Amino acid sequence: MAEIRTEHLKAGYERKIVVDQVELSVKAGEIVVLIGPNGAGKSTILKTLAGLLEPLDGTVFLGDTSLKELSLTQRAKNISVMMTGRNHTEYLTVYDVVAGGRYCYTDLLGKLSETDKEIIEEALRTTGAYEQKDLEFTKLSDGQKQRVLLARALAQKPRFMILDEPTSFLDLGYKLSFLEIVKDLARKNQIGIIMSMHELEMAHRVADKVVCITAEGRVDKVGAPGEIFVPQYIERIFRISPGLLGQTYHFGKIPNPVAQVSERLKDPKARFLMVQGTMSSAGKSLIVAGLCRIFKQDGYRVAPFKSQNMALNSYITEDGLEMGRAQVMQAEAAGIKPNVYMNPILLKPTSDSGSQIIVNGKVIGNMRAKDYFQYKTQLVPDILAAVKELEKQADIIVIEGAGSPAEINLKKNDIVNMGVANMLDAPVLLVGDIDRGGVFAQLLGTIELLEEEERNRVKGLIVNKFRGDKTILDPGLVMLEERGGIPVAGVVPYMRLQLEDEDSLSEKFDRKAEGAVQIGIIKLPHIANFTDFDVFEQVPGLAIHYITGTKEVESMDMIILPGSKNTISDMIWLKETGMESAIKKYSATDNPLLGICGGYQMLGESISDPLGVEAGGQVNGLGILPVKTVLAGEKHRSQVQGHFLTPTGILESLAGIAYEGYEIHMGETTVLSDEISTFTEGESGYCRGNVWGTYVHGILDSAPIVKGIVNALAKRKGIDLDLNQVIDYKARKELEYDKLADTMREYMDMDLIYGMMGIKR
Amino acid sequence: MKRRVGILYFILIVSIVFLVVLNLFWGSSSITAERMWEILRHPQSADLYGVIVWEIRIPRIVEAIFLGGALALAGYLLQSFFANPIAGPYVLGISSGAKLFVAILMVFSYELAFSMSSMMMVIASFLGSCVAALFVIAVAKRVRNMAVLIVCGVMIGYVCSAVTELLVSFADDSNIVNLHNWSMGSFGAASWTNVRIIIPVVCLGFVCSVLLSKGISVYLFGETYASSVGMNIRLFRFCLIVVSSLLSAIVTAFAGPISFVGIAVPHVVRTVTKTGSTKTMILASFLGGSAFCLLCDWIARYLFAPTELSISTITAVFGAPIVIVMLMQKQGRKS
Repeated sequence: MAEIRTEHLKAGYERKIVVDQVELSVKAGEIVVLIGPNGAGKSTILKTLAGLLEPLDGTVFLGDTSLKELSLTQRAKNISVMMTGRNHTEYLTVYDVVAGGRYCYTDLLGKLSETDKEIIEEALRTTGAYEQKDLEFTKLSDGQKQRVLLARALAQKPRFMILDEPTSFLDLGYKLSFLEIVKDLARKNQIGIIMSMHELEMAHRVADKVVCITAEGRVDKVGAPGEIFVPQYIERIFRISPGLLGQTYHFGKIPNPVAQVSERLKDPKARFLMVQGTMSSAGKSLIVAGLCRIFKQDGYRVAPFKSQNMALNSYITEDGLEMGRAQVMQAEAAGIKPNVYMNPILLKPTSDSGSQIIVNGKVIGNMRAKDYFQYKTQLVPDILAAVKELEKQADIIVIEGAGSPAEINLKKNDIVNMGVANMLDAPVLLVGDIDRGGVFAQLLGTIELLEEEERNRVKGLIVNKFRGDKTILDPGLVMLEERGGIPVAGVVPYMRLQLEDEDSLSEKFDRKAEGAVQIGIIKLPHIANFTDFDVFEQVPGLAIHYITGTKEVESMDMIILPGSKNTISDMIWLKETGMESAIKKYSATDNPLLGICGGYQMLGESISDPLGVEAGGQVNGLGILPVKTVLAGEKHRSQVQGHFLTPTGILESLAGIAYEGYEIHMGETTVLSDEISTFTEGESGYCRGNVWGTYVHGILDSAPIVKGIVNALAKRKGIDLDLNQVIDYKARKELEYDKLADTMREYMDMDLIYGMMGIKR
Repeated sequence: MKRRVGILYFILIVSIVFLVVLNLFWGSSSITAERMWEILRHPQSADLYGVIVWEIRIPRIVEAIFLGGALALAGYLLQSFFANPIAGPYVLGISSGAKLFVAILMVFSYELAFSMSSMMMVIASFLGSCVAALFVIAVAKRVRNMAVLIVCGVMIGYVCSAVTELLVSFADDSNIVNLHNWSMGSFGAASWTNVRIIIPVVCLGFVCSVLLSKGISVYLFGETYASSVGMNIRLFRFCLIVVSSLLSAIVTAFAGPISFVGIAVPHVVRTVTKTGSTKTMILASFLGGSAFCLLCDWIARYLFAPTELSISTITAVFGAPIVIVMLMQKQGRKS
């Protein structure tokens, strides 16, 4: 009988559900603590349990009776509450306040009987407020007030007490002593207690049972404190940057991470194939893309997958979610739309030792590498869930690994290479890069460093980026198969493809290009989304340069300031290196200057960061465009379509041309002067003379726009370029994927590869 | 603290007795003590002084006692309801609502040629009070700000006055005179007929207030708490607003709108006694209102005798500064 229990409870105000799926119970003598972020709906639940709010759905039971069926007096005799709220208790003494608790017992005029008086005094003594009984209530300290209010709740002689954040405004001493009193009430008086708290360490100590409510208003978990108070779980509930909690809070001992991720995908439906490399840039991404295209050509539904990407470059899906670009490229090869399940975890390096962590397309916080290493096993369910989603749309899932699977210092808790192969029970192709030399050592060394079980997963070796005469290589391959005991599945020749690259390790920065028209892209230390400029690579007679030196600036026909992961620090870098004055000088003679996203912000008068989104503070920009930027906490993420409005200078001819792209930035840019024209739609970009700035990434990805720009540059220089070959970037890419697939078919043993996946052809 | 309450009761009762005597003796025509004694012993005596005392002065004193008490009590109840020490029937526009309805009644009774009874006045006044009170409650639900509530009350007052003016411009001359005198606020129209209605209605209001006192003391802690100790909030609020409307309606019906008594008296009582007890507040406010109105009525009559001032003139002179001081204290405490 002595129990408060809920069934299918939905709590909220005026038909608006605040908390859903409330299933909890409190027994006599038990302390149940509600935790959750502000606004999660803790108070709403408590009010509903107390009968002060009608449940929107479901029932609150007191014993076997629904709370609704009790009379107000009966309810008050069973449940008392202590809530934060206004009171107008001027001149009321502590005793008067506590006497209020006897309301449901006294007669019509509220006269206190002897029993009432005894109970009031006992309540005052129990809570340690007896000394103050004749003092004026409003003159007490917060700590004393809370005790008095507890005494009042106790004077009601309830079987259950509902306390809403009773310790919130108290100092440490009062908090602890208050909780001791509460504990005593539960143990000695056998009162069932439900309370909400923000002090997690204390909740840990006092609670018998903990109810966790998420920010979305859902009861996420009900369990013993030991189960709930695990840093990773608390971080999730309170949306704390992973790893941050451990620095300030300790809930006893932090459990040791498990050495090997033991979860497996249950009931797999698709076939898996994993491509791992002996090193970064061994060519995994392209091999995966090629395989995707091949399987697609052979009539399979195929999807790429990479559990975790580390890259500055990200892509925004139609749902506004962020994912790695490599999987987007591979999805294009597979002929499907990219979605965030293809890359559930994205790490964007923000410094040498830290990254922004993006899970399922949403930023969950910044973490130091060390902390992430501890944290990442928590993400295994996300990885498996993503694969489950992909299985719905694919027969074959081609998985890409990251770096090398033989980093023996990092193998514990791996969730990208063998860890994933293990979870999904996938056969592995190991790719070595012959172009960099030492391909036999790469392959055999990697195999050597794998555990037996892992080694058995490797079903084929691939020598990538081969140039020259294969007959010279063949004897080596035979020995390779003999020594490693694993067949060579192919020798893939070096290919020059105009496809997007994965990350900043790309070779393109070193490439020396020659051409009649030169475009210089400032290589900022935190350069981001530089795939914006890949489109230029296909233009004959045009050379692009990633430049870091002031001397190079003046020889360019156009300078582009790209996006940045850390605009303020890159702006400071521009000043430090003298690039700022070089660019200003360059622009002073009316040379073309284009800024995209962070680069656009730098073109303005100032960039300030009042909220400390990046490093805080304010920095002066180049002052070339009369705009200023304030970084805000909210990140803009959206795909956009539009037309160029009124471009100025040599780009006048772009007016009215349609563009497609995406915006991703933290910051609001406002115009400071009328002498400025709109460049792109929706106040996303402005221009003046030969200076243009826009927030839209990928704006160059269409043939007319590229042609327009390059033509204008050529005309300005007084030369003629034949741009007939420039075709739409998308069509161009399709051709490239087919070329890739054809080459790989030619040089790889596709039957062997199908065989690995258990497919006979 | 208990002693302070005792002293206040004592002072109030003594001053009421003193003021009654003062009002009895002091008027346009002076009466000696012996003559007064005679008159009081023989109520039926038909001489001029007898009529003055029995038909004019005594009913007027009784009205001042009961209506003044009712007004202060209504103020206290409204302050509890809105959890706002500056609430009162006059500033919240409740008196103005009552005034408007009574004015409508007055004009229509002439136009439609029916005679207006005291009871009809009370009912019209009560309806007007309730309508204005409901409006103020609707505003108070949206804004918790004390000042906004007062401004809103003042606006209701203006609107009601505007409509009343409108009625006046269409009304007959004699009605205008009535209406004007009445709307100034005065105990001058006191009669035994009125007293016979006033006493039972005010007593009813007082008893209801005492019955509500237990609820008020819990309601002061906020609705959430009150409902958690088993109070039926809707019923309680309903009763509270009906009783306070009734009390301010009876005053408006018979003496017109009287300003500031509702705020000033409970405030002074609270400050002097430093009590949080609702029962003490109810009784002391009532007695305080009686004493205050007796005093003000005497001043209104005496100051420029034989010209009589409207009682609101006097109550405002005393009451308004008190309200200003309260507002300043409130603001001071915030900053």
